[in-house]
Amino acid sequence: MRAMVATALKGLRANSLRFALTAASVVLGVAFVAGSFVFTDTINARFETLFTDVYAGVDATVRPDGQGAGGPNGDSFDEAVLDEVLAVDGVEAAAGGVGGFAQLIAADGSPIGGQGPPTLGFSWTDEAGLNLLRIDGGNGRAPVAADEVAIDVATAESQDLGVGDTVTIQTVNGSGEYTIVGLAGFGTEDNLAGATLTAFELTEAQRVFDLEGRYTTIDVIAADGVSAEALVDGLSASLDGDAGGSLEVVTGEQQTQEELDDITTGLGFMTNALLAFAGIALFVGAFVIQNTFRITVAQRTRELALLRALGAGRGQVTGVVLLEALIIGVLASAVGVGAGIGLAEGVKAVMDAVGIGLPDGPLTIEPRTVVVAMAVGLVVTVFSALLPARRAALVAPIQAMGEPVARTTRRSLRTRTVVGFSLSGAGAAGLAAGLAASNGTTLLMVGIGAVGLFLGASTLAPLFAAPVARVLSVPLRGISGTLARENTIRQPRRTASTASALMIGVALVALVSIVASSIKASVTDTLEQDVAAELVLSTSASLEGVSPVAVDELRSIDELSAVSPILTGTATVAGEDVNVAGVDPATIAQVYNIDATIDLAAIGDGLVVAEGVAEARGWEVGDMVAVDYGPERVSTEVVGTYDGSVLGNYLISADTFTGRVGDGPISLTLARLADGVELEPGRAAAEQALAGFPNIDVETKSETVAAAQAEVDQLVALFSGLLGLALIIALLGIANTLALSIVERTREIGLLRAVGFSRRQIRSMIRLEAVMTAVFGAIMGVAIGTAIGFGVVSSLADQGLGSFGFPGTQLVVWVVAAAVAGVVAAIGPARKAARLNMLDAIAHS
Amino acid sequence: MSTITAPLATEEANGISAPPAHDMAAVMIGGVKIYGMGETEVRALDGVDAGFRQGHFTAIMGPSGSGKSTLLHAMAGLDTLDRGSVFIGDVELGTLNDRKLTTLRRDKLGFIFQAFNLVPTLSARENILLPLSIAGRRPEFDWFDHVVATVGLGDRLDHRPSELSGGQQQRVAAARALVSRPEIIFADEPSGNLDSTSGAELLDFMRRAVNEMGRTIVMVTHDPVAAGYADRVVFLADGVVVDELSDPTPDSVLDRMKVLGGPS
Repeated sequence: MRAMVATALKGLRANSLRFALTAASVVLGVAFVAGSFVFTDTINARFETLFTDVYAGVDATVRPDGQGAGGPNGDSFDEAVLDEVLAVDGVEAAAGGVGGFAQLIAADGSPIGGQGPPTLGFSWTDEAGLNLLRIDGGNGRAPVAADEVAIDVATAESQDLGVGDTVTIQTVNGSGEYTIVGLAGFGTEDNLAGATLTAFELTEAQRVFDLEGRYTTIDVIAADGVSAEALVDGLSASLDGDAGGSLEVVTGEQQTQEELDDITTGLGFMTNALLAFAGIALFVGAFVIQNTFRITVAQRTRELALLRALGAGRGQVTGVVLLEALIIGVLASAVGVGAGIGLAEGVKAVMDAVGIGLPDGPLTIEPRTVVVAMAVGLVVTVFSALLPARRAALVAPIQAMGEPVARTTRRSLRTRTVVGFSLSGAGAAGLAAGLAASNGTTLLMVGIGAVGLFLGASTLAPLFAAPVARVLSVPLRGISGTLARENTIRQPRRTASTASALMIGVALVALVSIVASSIKASVTDTLEQDVAAELVLSTSASLEGVSPVAVDELRSIDELSAVSPILTGTATVAGEDVNVAGVDPATIAQVYNIDATIDLAAIGDGLVVAEGVAEARGWEVGDMVAVDYGPERVSTEVVGTYDGSVLGNYLISADTFTGRVGDGPISLTLARLADGVELEPGRAAAEQALAGFPNIDVETKSETVAAAQAEVDQLVALFSGLLGLALIIALLGIANTLALSIVERTREIGLLRAVGFSRRQIRSMIRLEAVMTAVFGAIMGVAIGTAIGFGVVSSLADQGLGSFGFPGTQLVVWVVAAAVAGVVAAIGPARKAARLNMLDAIAHS
Repeated sequence: MSTITAPLATEEANGISAPPAHDMAAVMIGGVKIYGMGETEVRALDGVDAGFRQGHFTAIMGPSGSGKSTLLHAMAGLDTLDRGSVFIGDVELGTLNDRKLTTLRRDKLGFIFQAFNLVPTLSARENILLPLSIAGRRPEFDWFDHVVATVGLGDRLDHRPSELSGGQQQRVAAARALVSRPEIIFADEPSGNLDSTSGAELLDFMRRAVNEMGRTIVMVTHDPVAAGYADRVVFLADGVVVDELSDPTPDSVLDRMKVLGGPS
């Protein structure tokens, strides 16, 4: 076996450049896997340290039941509870506090922060050990008067604010002017993950948060010798039944853990994005690897046949190829892990730069990260090499004699058709099932389905290679063109497998483009057709939403005939977590064209369900449905159905919403102009009425459409950037395959040169082949992407994706780009082919 | 069938697969190999009986398309017969599955190809030792040294094939064929790509392998000079054995070829 190892090692060394290119795709994929782990672990470790430190003094927390660790608009309870808490045995000290959203307003009237990280307001607590904020010497003092605040150091620095400056702060109750008296840190940090922090004096805090005489939490310190658990038990026992039995007591530790979970869940999108890309890179990479191995195996047929003739078993030959894959996998994965650590550092730096600062400290590199990332890289590489390795084992010993072996193209294309269609069918079924279902397994099903479809499509691709190439080659003239066409058509499998990675890449891009443009089309259609209101009011920070006070202000002006707030939140309907919209029954019909079976004014405490959902669930009007609004489970009557819209699938009245879900944010407020009021004066009047709420944007309908489209475009740009990397991998694949196929065709090219082909003609032939292959891949990709996109969009029709958008221009651009990429990929191989020494080429065997 | 003389009445021999006599290293009985179908059908072997005696050097000759390479491939288990049988020792190849056939090739057969067929990434030494390391066998260093000394490669062992002349490469291939002490060595035009001096050296070495080491060699060639090194020449034409010549010289071979219809 030593010789086999040596053969593998030496085969690698002889083809090191090829394999380096192959390995690049593995490196990239592994880097994203490792990067996402390192990043997530680092976030967890850093925030755990920070929160453990900050909450070190808190032994127990009293809070409203079922609230979890504080949403800003959570419930509250009477401040008299504090006295009872202080009277409980084992309580050393306790302090009540309130929290809510507090938006700092810059001198120019624009809101500070809030895009992403929240804008948090607190009451200041003097009780040592219970104050989460800390003011260092030289940074001022705590707020003691109603017009004083302390803000976090990081925000102060970024906004150039200091002790003594005046700042406008807007809360649910309107806005006011405050003097900054202190700059506070959060634990050891200057800031909490990019949130803006504002601390008020307690009574003022209760006023601005509309919580006079109430607390949202009471933090408790245990007396010496009393354990946190004993304290919680004691508190629970004495508070039982208070405040309508709606209080719960948890240990400081639990509170810390919940806060931590909130933060890490909030930052989880980065992890998911990195992992998603890792998946794409590895998937595309797998095709590149498979292709490279396929060709190196073909090139070494003679050598492998010799090994077989000299008595190597099939297993040994497979072993040589797999060993090569294993070595590449180990090297590439190791490099990938290193790159992943760099990537995590980079992501951290980017997040710091955009203001989502993470606590300082080293990166956390768990052994698990290295093990998993290495394993992923190894498995993908070896798995991709499996088919070529198996093919290597099928090399007949007689091929060592230079005997040509009859090709079996026809038969294997038939097998291929069967396998391809089965895979595609299974994939499509998985995709459809995943899209139709709507529980936790959905995304997994969709993913597996898509992978199956891609594999099926790439299996079937050779069937299309010849017809597509025939059409593509119509404009080709001259002998180079003819030969390029013949080469592309005669070797449909080579053409298809060369194009496969690009095909997948382009399919993903096409899919994203199609879904995005469908979202755009749907949003536009909905807004233009369904929204009757002329003005749309919202906040850039959707967490706070539009203050109810602001809604009242708008209702008081004559220029608007109807002002209708729409609240959004989540509830569990018949066991499924869904978005629920709370609408104002009195005004919704004036601002929004809802095609419902009942007049929404009569919704009462019932539920109106989208038709598609009602049908799927088998609900009839009059049925009772269990709706879990968090703390409460209520049997609710389905009072009607409607055609579904961007509002979501479940409508309840705003009163039911505030009563059950809580003071959920008003994500959107629609306003109708009174008769005879022009758009601009109407908008000006609304803006004037909202002078105290600078965080609310007043937009016309067309501005909202444009803003929504811009948002989608931004997402698409982000996705395309990531997918662009996948396309680069694919391009590497094409260059790689072309270069290898030149070696494979040395004799043929030498013969062409010998009979008088010029170097230029050779170059031009290779280039044309590359372009045809790339365009073939791109066209297949667009076709597959469109098919999947169509499926995705139509299955999401009842979730608001009513229109199918086909970004024709964009897709044509991708195909043209693929053609150009083909030319670029062909530069090296074409030059190499043209330089082949004629005699060597002919003598080459 | 204690001895086999050609030509035989091939039709009668078809289907007979009794084990051959014990001094035969390899035997083909009633070998038929057909390529293509219908109009394009080619009977590469059309009922061949041939035996190769242990410790003998046999040459197979014949014009292009006579089936001599097919005969060699079938004897070596590289190709399968459509009818008839091949014995290596007393093992019939047709009864073996791929794994057993591979093991047999590994342990009992050696090859020397026309196109040298060395693994380009391995050194001369590694190429020579390749059959042993495939089998996971420990090389016998005395034997290795003896073989290397006989082919005269002593100072070139650490060179890659690309750094060796054609003659040297073929001597590496010959050493490789000998090192695992195979029962029988098959050579396909071994001197075909060599100049006359290198060719003579190689054939001389092969002769010595038979005389001094007791090997059995079966060689396909179209060169009367090469055939002159053999103990016996078997002539093929149109897929059948048409003649046979013992203790050949280049001249006697050439004469016989003239009778049989010109040089290959």
